[in-house]
Amino acid sequence: MKKYILLSLLSFVFWVTNAQKSDIAPQDLNGIRAIGSPANPKVKMAWDSYHDYAQVTQLGRDLVKAYPNLVKMESVGKSYEGRDIWVLTISDFNSGEVENKPGFYIDGGIHANEMQGVEVAMYTAWYLAESFQTIKFINTLLKEKVFYIVMTISPDGRENFIYKSNNSNTSRSGMRPFDNDGDGLVNEDKLDDLDNDGHIVMMRRKSKTGRWKVDTKYPTRMYQVKGDEIGEYEMLGYEGVDNDKDGLVNEDLIGTYDPNRDWGWNWQPNYVQNGALFYPGTLPETRAIKAFIVNHPNIAGAQSYHNFGGMFLRGPGAAEDDALFSSQDIEVYDNIGKLGEKMIPGYNYFVIHKDLYTVYGGEIDFLSLTRGIFTFSNELMTSYKLFNQKSTAGRWDNDEFNEFDKYLLFGDGYLEWKTFNHPQFGDIEIGGPKKNYIRNHPGFMIQEDAHRNMAFSLYHAYQTPKLEIIGIETEKLSGDLVAVTATVMNTRIIPTHSLHDVKNKIERPNYISLTGSAVVAGMTVQNEDLNLFTEQKFTPETIAVPNIEGMGNVKVRWIVKGNPSGATVKVSSAKGGTVSDKIK
Amino acid sequence: MRKKILFLFVLCFGITHAQNDYLNYQNLTKNLKELDVKSKYCTVKSIGKSSGGKEIWLLTISESTTPKPALLITAGLDGKYRAGTQITLKMIENLLNSDKLSKILEEKTIYFVPSVNPDAIDAAFATIKMEKSGNDTKTDDDRDGKIGEDPFEDLNKDGLITQLRIEDITGSFIESPEDSRVLIKADPMKNQVGKYVLISEGIDNDKDGMFNEDFSEGVNIDKNFTFDYPVFEKGAGVYVASEPETRALLDFLYLNQNIYGVLTFGMHNNLSETPKYDSKLASSRIIKGWLEKDIKAVERVSKLYTQKAAIKDGPKMPMTKGNFAQTAYFHAGRFSFSTPGWWVPKVEAKKDSLDSKLEKPKDKDKEAVNSEVSFLKWADSQNIKSAFINWSVIKHPDFPNQKVEVGGFAPYTLNNPPVNFLEETATKHVLFVEELLAAMPKIETNVPEVEKVRENLYRITIKVANKGLLPTYTEIGDKIRFVSKMKTEIVLQKNQSMVSGRKYFIRNSMQADESEEYSWLISGTGKVTITTGCATAGFKEVIVDLK
Repeated sequence: MKKYILLSLLSFVFWVTNAQKSDIAPQDLNGIRAIGSPANPKVKMAWDSYHDYAQVTQLGRDLVKAYPNLVKMESVGKSYEGRDIWVLTISDFNSGEVENKPGFYIDGGIHANEMQGVEVAMYTAWYLAESFQTIKFINTLLKEKVFYIVMTISPDGRENFIYKSNNSNTSRSGMRPFDNDGDGLVNEDKLDDLDNDGHIVMMRRKSKTGRWKVDTKYPTRMYQVKGDEIGEYEMLGYEGVDNDKDGLVNEDLIGTYDPNRDWGWNWQPNYVQNGALFYPGTLPETRAIKAFIVNHPNIAGAQSYHNFGGMFLRGPGAAEDDALFSSQDIEVYDNIGKLGEKMIPGYNYFVIHKDLYTVYGGEIDFLSLTRGIFTFSNELMTSYKLFNQKSTAGRWDNDEFNEFDKYLLFGDGYLEWKTFNHPQFGDIEIGGPKKNYIRNHPGFMIQEDAHRNMAFSLYHAYQTPKLEIIGIETEKLSGDLVAVTATVMNTRIIPTHSLHDVKNKIERPNYISLTGSAVVAGMTVQNEDLNLFTEQKFTPETIAVPNIEGMGNVKVRWIVKGNPSGATVKVSSAKGGTVSDKIK
Repeated sequence: MRKKILFLFVLCFGITHAQNDYLNYQNLTKNLKELDVKSKYCTVKSIGKSSGGKEIWLLTISESTTPKPALLITAGLDGKYRAGTQITLKMIENLLNSDKLSKILEEKTIYFVPSVNPDAIDAAFATIKMEKSGNDTKTDDDRDGKIGEDPFEDLNKDGLITQLRIEDITGSFIESPEDSRVLIKADPMKNQVGKYVLISEGIDNDKDGMFNEDFSEGVNIDKNFTFDYPVFEKGAGVYVASEPETRALLDFLYLNQNIYGVLTFGMHNNLSETPKYDSKLASSRIIKGWLEKDIKAVERVSKLYTQKAAIKDGPKMPMTKGNFAQTAYFHAGRFSFSTPGWWVPKVEAKKDSLDSKLEKPKDKDKEAVNSEVSFLKWADSQNIKSAFINWSVIKHPDFPNQKVEVGGFAPYTLNNPPVNFLEETATKHVLFVEELLAAMPKIETNVPEVEKVRENLYRITIKVANKGLLPTYTEIGDKIRFVSKMKTEIVLQKNQSMVSGRKYFIRNSMQADESEEYSWLISGTGKVTITTGCATAGFKEVIVDLK
């Protein structure tokens, strides 16, 4: 009988290996394949353009269809305008329960004009599924971990950015209308695309008193004159008219709130934190994601992709929360962030409130402080990437973008100035950078940066806790009593609980239990050599361990009656997964 | 207008529905729905569903469907405090019977949300009664990954969850010398030695050494709001504004810009004693103290409360973290008042018939007043028998060799007296609400001055003033995007054009007796319309004929 079982098992293994082989395209095995990339993916994708909501949804559907054992897609809620917010669950569904694996959460494009965040999230999902058979590291990663990828967290704003007239900074908000200027009217004076070309550019007017001049090197560029230099133009702001005749132009735009000020840590109202709404969770999008996060306590690491500036940001968003990041938690961030600086040239590892600006009620703080998840937010794209060198000029007033446009984009980045007759300003000219230039990567650069940022996040995900029972020892005591000592090690750098989590009891403790043996007493071992133990008087068979540090270990000991051979030691950790072993 | 039935019904209402006890959720709903049918001024609708799926009822008293400057009166946020809901129901009844109502409604609207946390109501009607603050959200109160694994047990089978006192070496409680039923902390400075350990009634179900630490109490809505949110505290929710009740009430408040002020019946009091101005707290980046002008207004309101409505001796009850009352002011920018509504009446010291002076308690005595002792004194004097369960010995499995007694205050009694004791306070609070409504801002204008500058060119000048006792809205409201601002707007006809002036002027909150002058140069004859005001103060329209 045993033989037959073995035989059928062997043939099953053979069948599985064969099935796996058939997933690998011949091109992936020969020289046509460029190292590190799928040569003949099942889901064909081009990574040199941006994708709209239908294409984002289609990628999810295609991946589920091509890799049903690796990818699952579900809607976690609807956006304000009724679009589904998709979450892709990516893991090897054939090895272990997904909810018992350490999870890594990724989202993109909460600020919808920051387009490439969505592309990096999409690329990651695609790359993981397509590389599962060919790259051992990815294979192991999907066996051990689960990824939850929300490709676009603000689908309404993204559609608006793509299909409606915008500049590079608009459609940052969602689409829920609000009165911005306190006049009791809602969205009554929006930006106006005067020439209907889909881009909101700048307005300028010839003026003897103006303080601006044309840059002769790059005629689309205007610069501000200094000292006693005489200017030729005045700048009149973004394309628009005074729609409601109140003496103000473009003063009441769509939305004008910030979905990244709608979370639930140190939330402050709009007079402290611009962009905040009634309460954290006023928006259906953030509400849906928060519920998802809380319902997935296995999420141990997270990444939220933004642009611009080339940064790996960690919390806190506000200086008063600095003390909540203990030196031992910061050490973890430092390890990942500093490696990131090497992985992505031109990117810097920063703290939000120190190096960027203060953010109250942001998503990063919600994840790291309300939920105790080790979280980074990457600010994608930096002017460094233009010529692979650090610019000496400031963020917005350097001319490298113009130079790059001239020699590498052949002038595609800007709209040349053209005349327009404006109802309030008279004869003016309109021109300037297209909405999808400056903040968003030019086409040929998307894939490389997507890959580098994905690699950073995969390293981060790899470092979520991995618990291993590295030893179980038994020792006979007097009478029929036996001491069982189990050593559990976390072989990655992220602890099962941040120190902030331990202090505030955010997540339940880790439980290490012994079943199948009569437990008389249970304890954690402080120092085995010096015989230091802390007994747990109640429920001794299940020892509660508040934290297992990164690269650290804990020892627990049970005193049992009789021979414990065959009993099971099980480690159960919300963020560290479950693992068990039998006593020999 | 879907209101029709005779006003007579309203008059009868109080009689037909006189109740002797607190309402459960079903009866509360029935009660409110009947008001909707019977009173031509009442509309009842739901502003959202609770975590447990119950409706959060809003009762609007208004004579029209157009919103007018309004007060929002809320109760039943923390489930432990039930009297507020009963008081508001009585208030609605009294208001509907008030002969001042029709006059009030010409200019004002009154909103009531008598039970913001309806899930909590029925806990008081359970077979085994225990005080429950929270809604029906499943909570892991001790954050051990298990939900509700160590609830209370009714050990003496009296249907009530009270307390256990255990004689133990570690005990720090003793019987109060004033009333032996009440336990107080032993004070070593008075040579007192602790005798009892005091815990809630129940056993250690999960054998973890803690008693009743997780019965999944739900989220206390009055801890889930945005101002000063007590993160990670038991009962506060997993994160701020996590609960549907919290969001429903805030959505209602923010979206109805006509709500001038909020009156909350809860376990805090800023009416008997007003907040004090603290320039540091009021001017920090995150504002934590009432702004100066708003304090002046609150002081006026407090006088209406303690003097005009003669609501005396309110206990000092500091604001709690994450509550609605503070959020309504600091975040939503509305005047926010709160009161427990009912408290143990002060027992006046008996005075000698010949002594004209009232005997005042000395400062030292005042300090020593124990609220539990004075409650029992009052309950005894009123013959309220069920308030206290006398200590009686039981056998407890977790303390086999120790003397364990069960007893203490019956759940809810301390803050929720029998309903007949709420009649008087409801009447007084109606008086207060009427005074408050009358004190609200009044926007008035003069007859605009029209000067004919030249043929076809006119200068219009108008003075706008607030003649109410209170400002048009809070000073803090000027900082808040969602508060309707004071706006003075002119609407011209097609043949007219503006030579000077703006289509509209927006200004800061207008204090009581403050005024402002606006002028325009208009070319063209005919009528122009000037509108001035804001949602919390109402709008006034003036038509000027240029000729």
